[in-house]
Amino acid sequence: MAELQCVVVTPEKTVIDKQIEFVALPLHDGEIGIAAKHSPMIGRLGHGEMRLTGGGQSESFYVDGGFVQVNENTVSVLTNRAIPAADLNGEEAQQLLDRANEMSAKSPELMAIRDRLMSQARGQQRMVAKR
Amino acid sequence: MANARALDKRRKSIRNIRKITRTMELIATARFKKAMDRATAATDYTARITRLVGDLAASGLEVSHPLLEGRTEVNNVATLVLTANRGLCGGYNGNVLRQAIRQRQEWQDQNKNLALDVSGKRGISGFKFRNISVEDTYTQFDDQPAFEEVEKIAEGYLEDYASGKIDRLDVVYTQFKTVARQETVVETLLPLGSLIDEEGSEEGASGSSESLYEFVPSPESILEEVVPMSFKVKLFKCFLDAAVSEQIARMVAMKSATENASDMIRNLSQTYNRARQSQITGEIMEVIGGVEALQG
Repeated sequence: MAELQCVVVTPEKTVIDKQIEFVALPLHDGEIGIAAKHSPMIGRLGHGEMRLTGGGQSESFYVDGGFVQVNENTVSVLTNRAIPAADLNGEEAQQLLDRANEMSAKSPELMAIRDRLMSQARGQQRMVAKR
Repeated sequence: MANARALDKRRKSIRNIRKITRTMELIATARFKKAMDRATAATDYTARITRLVGDLAASGLEVSHPLLEGRTEVNNVATLVLTANRGLCGGYNGNVLRQAIRQRQEWQDQNKNLALDVSGKRGISGFKFRNISVEDTYTQFDDQPAFEEVEKIAEGYLEDYASGKIDRLDVVYTQFKTVARQETVVETLLPLGSLIDEEGSEEGASGSSESLYEFVPSPESILEEVVPMSFKVKLFKCFLDAAVSEQIARMVAMKSATENASDMIRNLSQTYNRARQSQITGEIMEVIGGVEALQG
């Protein structure tokens, strides 16, 4: 199967840099699947699961917002964090959600923060539940 | 006459100090390498986000964002000072503090409200000693600052900037230029000015090929997210630079301390040998004197 280069970087380090066959990413409004020779694209990521398939193996990561850029058969994923699915903690996600629920949302800025925290927590919870 | 025993004692204690400074130098070298690796690992992200911005700009989008434009009237300024948690690193902390105080004086002369935030125990105690009140203090940053921690601080500043609590943010830190050169600088992070770094601009311009991008959901929405992100990354880079520079400063300081100790030991050994020799000579003279007295 045709392959494409996948690079996942966080501000701290490069997490993944290898050839894969397919990657599924959480965009801000739903999932996108990218295979080899995808047309150039820049997208905004949401909070959720990133699945990489290559060489008969599949890997799953939680990505925490950011961007994806597809160009010349290369997928660059720029994200704050990329956590392997196995390292996620359901309790922590629940705590995060509880905290977000208690937050006040009196101004648009505060509301945006609250929404982001909630989406992060829900994204993590969904992945924990799937395990 | 110098006491040979006292000299020997002193020499021994200096040897011990040399051992300590030598070890500290080695530790600093190891930490410097680690910090340096982290800093280079972080450049990948910066390069990619610069390319992304370049591609955004190439798509004909007018790059404008509240964070990029300066306020017409600047009344409230915030300054973040990055110092080390530990001393024994030569002029590193002193230089940053001096620069910060000069900056503070400048703002005061212009009658601005200044909020001073300090990271690092040395900086906190330095301001305390000078009776300068500081707003927020951070001590959790060591030689490997975590992005998560920096992000929290960055978000605080973004919030303050958006709500109008601050009109400008400066960071005083030691910029890493090369291994042999670090400079104490004051960098304005808010407003951001331009998104593309001077170093990255050429690369960004040539790196963007003629691809026609599809934007999901829209260039504007992506820009809205890119701008705060690049602020966070810039702030993170300041912390990384400061960490690397601190280790280099400590390495250099400890190296010269070790050399000084070696010099001192050499001098002391000379004096000690001379003192011992003259003591022996004195004793021989006494013995000879005694023998002669018996014979006579």
